[in-house]
Amino acid sequence: MNYQFNWSVLWSGQSGGWLLRGLGTTLALSGLAWLVAVALGIVSGAMRTVPWKPLRVVATFYVEFFRNVPLLVWMFFWYFGVPPLLPLAIREWLFDHGAEFWAGMFALGVYHGARMSEVIRSGIQSIPKTQFEAAVAIGLTTFQAYRLVIVPIALRLIVPPATSESLNLLKNSSVALTISVAELTFQTRQIETYTARAIEALTAGTVIYLGLCVGIATIMAHVERRFAIPGLIARGG
Amino acid sequence: MRRILAGLLTLGLPLSVVSPALAQQSTLEKIGQSGVLTIGTRTASPPFAFVNKQNEWVGFSIDLVEQGVKPAIERKLGKPIKLEKKESTPPTRIPLLSSNAVDLIAGTMTDTRTRRESVDFSLTFFVTGAQFLVKKGSPIKSIDSIAGKRVAAQQGSTNARIIRERVPTAKLQEFPDQPAAFQALVQGQVDAYTNDGIQLYGLKAKAPKPDDWVVVGDFFSYEPYGMAMRKNDSDFRHAVNVGLMELIESGKYFELYDKWFGPKSETPYPLTAENKRFLIMQVVPK
Amino acid sequence: MTDTVIEFRDVNKWFGNIHVLRDINLAVEMGEVVVVCGPSGSGKSTLIRCVNALEPIQGGELVVLGESLTKPGVNLPALRTRVGMVFQSFNLFPHMTVLENIMLAPVKVRGLSAAEASRVARALLERVRIPDKAENYPANLSGGQQQRVAIARALAMQPKIMLFDEPTSALDPEMINEVLDVMTDLARDGMTMMVVTHEMGFARRVAHRIVFMDAGQVVEEAPPDLFFAAAKSDRAREFLSKILTH
Repeated sequence: MNYQFNWSVLWSGQSGGWLLRGLGTTLALSGLAWLVAVALGIVSGAMRTVPWKPLRVVATFYVEFFRNVPLLVWMFFWYFGVPPLLPLAIREWLFDHGAEFWAGMFALGVYHGARMSEVIRSGIQSIPKTQFEAAVAIGLTTFQAYRLVIVPIALRLIVPPATSESLNLLKNSSVALTISVAELTFQTRQIETYTARAIEALTAGTVIYLGLCVGIATIMAHVERRFAIPGLIARGG
Repeated sequence: MRRILAGLLTLGLPLSVVSPALAQQSTLEKIGQSGVLTIGTRTASPPFAFVNKQNEWVGFSIDLVEQGVKPAIERKLGKPIKLEKKESTPPTRIPLLSSNAVDLIAGTMTDTRTRRESVDFSLTFFVTGAQFLVKKGSPIKSIDSIAGKRVAAQQGSTNARIIRERVPTAKLQEFPDQPAAFQALVQGQVDAYTNDGIQLYGLKAKAPKPDDWVVVGDFFSYEPYGMAMRKNDSDFRHAVNVGLMELIESGKYFELYDKWFGPKSETPYPLTAENKRFLIMQVVPK
Repeated sequence: MTDTVIEFRDVNKWFGNIHVLRDINLAVEMGEVVVVCGPSGSGKSTLIRCVNALEPIQGGELVVLGESLTKPGVNLPALRTRVGMVFQSFNLFPHMTVLENIMLAPVKVRGLSAAEASRVARALLERVRIPDKAENYPANLSGGQQQRVAIARALAMQPKIMLFDEPTSALDPEMINEVLDVMTDLARDGMTMMVVTHEMGFARRVAHRIVFMDAGQVVEEAPPDLFFAAAKSDRAREFLSKILTH
């Protein structure tokens, strides 16, 4: 009954190659989803603070709808729900070219976009309203004021919460295995299948995720220092 | 970096400390003490283990435990015990056993040599082999016609492994559970779904329109189902085997087989003479 | 009579149920310097914030540089390029250098090249007497310096009118004069200005006219000598006695 560890399963046979391929897929999936999430987060987060109600309503709907439905459901929605709406030829092409990857990417991106939106909104709301007034008072349009002043300041303020949201996204990318995306967790299970060595395989996966998270946190800390606003912006209006 | 390493080492430590502590107690002692036999089984693998329309957790594997294994253990312990069921999937079942969360895996687990390096198996209680479920009229007829096709398989199954090795050009997509894989087949994300033949029959029978689906191909794998338990616990393993042997010897096994796989069942799957002989020959003399 | 550049006609404004501007009638001529004073809460800040439409009005009409702000479809960004504003809290953009702060609107709104805008910005820094701070970030400047940058930023759009909303209230006393000096220069150069301030010395020296407000109404308008020597209303006299004898 005593569990005998056999760590050599991780580098013997094909395990190493699988882990690397899984890592590659996880990085590609999370990286693309992150871009989608940040873009959606900025747009909808900014829209939630503008002085025009219809935009706020649309953005609020997006955020509440997408972040309150479980990620797993979104994975199934994009993988099973969306393709039947597409023309047959496109559908077949997608199925032959990694539909599960794109479905997983959109599910992850749109879901975390809604969560990122809240981070960005709180960043924008922490900027004194007079900052916006100063921007429009020199003749900028509302859109320009957001693009050139409000959002750039907000992005600098939200690096820490945005980092933790990004790490959540990375870890949540493993949910994509439910729609057969062969990412890192999938590959650790694969090793388990071939070797019946679950604890070793899971440990390998854990160590890689941990390494990724530490790496991302380090990069973001660097970004935070690099783009820090001199003296911060504690002054209020 | 050094701090991270230190963190990892402390993470690893409890694992190595905990395992010897578990070794103190045999499975029979544990069951005797708690009065409960905990099995890991499936919720969606008809007819072996599934939740039926009346919301009862039933199936062939579960019946074998309730009517054979459980009585044998009770006789051995000299007192009645309760049976508890937990969901276990291919990726989780061995960890569930190792961590003592369950005592016995009784579902649809194939006995393999690799797995025997981690767990022990009971005698074989069912024999099947991998086939394909396809839409009626599909050009896929067997493992020889799946090159370049999109094929779904169950994550962690032996079938996926065989396809990867024998037909590397097939686009294999592995799903963690059967409903998702079948949904992918229904919608055309994949052209075929491979699993053990008997599971495919079970799936077809439960499909909204069973006649739209066919199970095709010769067995391209040999899948002897066994019940798995923690390694090196021969008393418990013997009790489980005695329970199964008595079922076969008394003929009760064949009644149960008929109940779940007979011509009137939802998933008819005739017992070949060859397989019947194989089952009987596993029963060693008293 | 010279050109009228700002004209309030029976302007009324509410914040919810609070009636903050009551039947305001006021005209400002080209080149005129008008100081608006009054107790806090009298509506004086709100009054000048209406001029560049940071606050919408709910009644009456407000015409600025020939454009009626209440007319539907009025191009506010275009109007605001012609009406500069300086705030109490400076409101420089903290993520940009001083030079970038001043160049932003000329480049993005007026379409100047970066080189041209930079030249204009440096000339303006010269004018507000801090040419050596161009590459600094706002957080590294004193309050007085920040406020002068804010004035330069507003002037970069070559506005016809400048609005000052308590520009020295957030400053340490020793920095007030450096800002007032810049404003005085501006007035001498003929800029049309509306200034909300408690700096009565500045009002006396620079303003052409004092507008005294209380409780959302314009109570009294007069040239500075007359206002300080012999204010007509009790409320103005009371206000002056408080502010001049502390």
